[in-house]
Amino acid sequence: MSGRWSTQRPDAPQTGAQIYRFLLKRLGYALITLFILSVLVFASASLLPGDIGRNILGGLASERDVAIFNHNAGVDRPIVVQYLDWISGFVRGDLGTSLQYNVPVSSLLGPAFINSLKLAAVAFVLVVPLSILGGLVAGLRRGSLTDRAITITGISFTAIPEFVTAIVLILVLGLWLGWLPVSATAPEGSNVATQIEYLLLPSFALVLILFGYIARITRASVIESVDADYTRTAYLKGLTSRQVVGGHVLRNSLLPTIAVVATQVGYLIGGLLVIEKLFNYNGIGLRIYTAAQNKDYTMLQSGVLLVGVVYLVATLVADVLYSVLNPRIRYGSAE
Amino acid sequence: MDREARRLLDEYRQNEADPVENALFDDLAAGELTRLDFLQRGTVLGLSATTLGAALGALGHAPLALGATSHVGQAGGRLRVGIIPAPVGDLEPHLFKDHGRLVTGSICGEFLTKSRQNGTLAPELAVSWKRNADATQWAFNLRRGVKFANGKPFTADDVVATFNRLTDPNGGSEALSAFKGVLSPGGAKKVGDYTVVFTLEAPNANFPYLTSSTTYQAIILPSNYTLGSFAKGRQTTGPFNLVSYTPGVGARFERNAQWWGGRALLDGVDVTYYSEDAAAVAGLLGGQIDMMSQISFTSGKALFKSPKVQIFSAPSAGHRQISMLTSTVAANKALKDRRVRQAIALSLDRPQLVKQLFNGFAEVGNDGGPLSPSIHVVADKSVPARKQDLVQAKKLLAQAGYPRGFKETLTAPIFQEIPQLAQIVSASVKKIGIEMPLNLITYTAYYAGTYSGGATGRGTNPWLNSPIDITDWAHRAVPNVVLTSAFVTGGPWNAAAYSNKKVDGLIKSFNGAVAIKDQKKYIAQIMRILQNDTPVIFPYFFKWVLAGSTRVKGFQADALGMLFLGKTSVR
Repeated sequence: MSGRWSTQRPDAPQTGAQIYRFLLKRLGYALITLFILSVLVFASASLLPGDIGRNILGGLASERDVAIFNHNAGVDRPIVVQYLDWISGFVRGDLGTSLQYNVPVSSLLGPAFINSLKLAAVAFVLVVPLSILGGLVAGLRRGSLTDRAITITGISFTAIPEFVTAIVLILVLGLWLGWLPVSATAPEGSNVATQIEYLLLPSFALVLILFGYIARITRASVIESVDADYTRTAYLKGLTSRQVVGGHVLRNSLLPTIAVVATQVGYLIGGLLVIEKLFNYNGIGLRIYTAAQNKDYTMLQSGVLLVGVVYLVATLVADVLYSVLNPRIRYGSAE
Repeated sequence: MDREARRLLDEYRQNEADPVENALFDDLAAGELTRLDFLQRGTVLGLSATTLGAALGALGHAPLALGATSHVGQAGGRLRVGIIPAPVGDLEPHLFKDHGRLVTGSICGEFLTKSRQNGTLAPELAVSWKRNADATQWAFNLRRGVKFANGKPFTADDVVATFNRLTDPNGGSEALSAFKGVLSPGGAKKVGDYTVVFTLEAPNANFPYLTSSTTYQAIILPSNYTLGSFAKGRQTTGPFNLVSYTPGVGARFERNAQWWGGRALLDGVDVTYYSEDAAAVAGLLGGQIDMMSQISFTSGKALFKSPKVQIFSAPSAGHRQISMLTSTVAANKALKDRRVRQAIALSLDRPQLVKQLFNGFAEVGNDGGPLSPSIHVVADKSVPARKQDLVQAKKLLAQAGYPRGFKETLTAPIFQEIPQLAQIVSASVKKIGIEMPLNLITYTAYYAGTYSGGATGRGTNPWLNSPIDITDWAHRAVPNVVLTSAFVTGGPWNAAAYSNKKVDGLIKSFNGAVAIKDQKKYIAQIMRILQNDTPVIFPYFFKWVLAGSTRVKGFQADALGMLFLGKTSVR
């Protein structure tokens, strides 16, 4: 096996205390990161040039109206007080009032976040198994025509900007063939099957964007595993190819794939602005974009922090999964 | 000639008509007014349909048909509308200033009067109106038997409360652009349950237009209306009730069973807000929506070719203004010279602009002010059209001392076709030696900043302080507001910092003139002076264009893009 884990101790004993320590440490790092993120998000939104009241009310509003607006919005208080007020509210689930729409931020971000989760879930269910399968087939048939076809197709789609992929899918599957709805939002009161049907086209776009990347990582890991001593030993023991691939190659090659997939979860939930715009989907990416465009600072800050939390949770879950699949990691990290 | 019509007209002229109204009949008889000019002016003056019809019949014109929409559809079904872009800000009528909000409000809201596609005024919540001799007071008789969706009967109290809110200088009202200097808080007084008298700050012969749908903030709300409750619904009198609204996502309207106008054909209207033109175009072509509230020619080309789609358009006075700072410290020295401004105006090939940017859905502008030849009755069509003349443009530049041109940045917002217009302007002036790099900024940034203070007293916003820029102006049924705000010395939207005492006086006289002959006389002078001074170039006046599926029937486009759906059907 390669020397990737050479600094860790494969022979160390496993105890509950060590696992607990490992998780605690990871959680601590996540919280520190989140704190730094919250300060950065708040500072960058607060320090943007321009008076908030003036930006919202427009140039023709009187100074008096601007001052009243700023006072009511609480933005005339010291910045530290504003930060503490915001972050304590965020922790309690009170995200404040949208400056743009004058309604609770949570009433807008909540449904958008759930929508993003739905789209991410459908895309995830499609792209992860498909990419792993593609990477596995390509890795096992290294150098063959199949390998080249999978690799080149995947890379090509990844290289195409997402708005191009999305528009082509809309044109072909939505308008020319009429197979799928071109908007991602199902009519009010639709059942789960209809909602999934509406989410298929944007999910296909995401599959094309992510397939090449995830499949390539899986392929590389598969090749590494196929060449590893334990695989050779397994064959020598007389196991069938299916047993070797299922029990040794796939299991070992999933580790880097999990890391890659975990990082994409954050993107799938918070980074789909282009997809959300083109499929007119009320996701969190579009909410954040609109908030930034209209200087709705309360919505912008909470939206960005929420996406940050998603990224960190996804990474934390990946770390835990990783450590469950590979004990050497938790001991190395817990030291 | 219709005898009965002649009798009715004579009776009215002898017993009721004042000199201004009699002059209007005389002008029609003498052929100085077209039929449409007569109807536009007559409806503003408050002449009843009977009188208007009698005059047309008696004087040999086609009978009265005030643009009524034909009822061709069957009842039932819901209309799915895509509105682009979504409302920005509170859904609060007196704060309306963007397309998303005014269109949403128009589905359920009603006004005292309604501006029709042909420019005439129709009664809505007011059934008739009458002015005093100098047009400083206007009395409106209100429709009886109207109820708000919440069950409250509509009376004069509701009109007074609505106009007090619209004219309040401390309430953030966007309607002040129409009412500032015209009507103050307390200017609307109830003189009976169904009569309201407006006492104006100065004579205004076009006041009824300001109470119409063209002042889109002037939706009549109940007197007990509380701020913030519009989005919760049931505060209006129109054919549909707003029943749910999600900012940035959509809105749902249901038929108002107690609408005074009868039974709306549609069961309801479902609005989806779009942030991307392409998504809405795909939605319409893919059958997920039935109508798009506006289309642009760059992203909507597929719609013009599709057999599944019909295009609706309405003539409009909406336009772009290319303003050049004529004074203030920020002004470019060259642009202060009238000859240079004329040269820039002469460099543009306007028919080509109209073709390229609007596929013909626009008419060429003539730099004589915000007067659309097809909308404004008072526009002087005899003012010679300004055509592209590069030789004359170069000559004027040389006379002004710039034979080799000069360099100045053109600032413009990224909004609809404006960036393309900016590129064409830049390329056009290059032909006469002027280098004009572009500063294209977001729509929000273009209007951001302060509007007072600083070295020029004009604040920091790019719109009023860029040496040359392009601004979007919405449709106005009468030119009063644009003339007063953009061409009077010190006007709040005078982006050219233009100052001409003669023009100031003429605009004041125009606003106060009751007789159309007088209005035309003042406008003719204003147009000639503005064309000669050229503080602003008016490249075109465009039509409002929107698209719907072929199953949409009984719909007529509005010049502001508002959706009046009381007679629309999808079956």
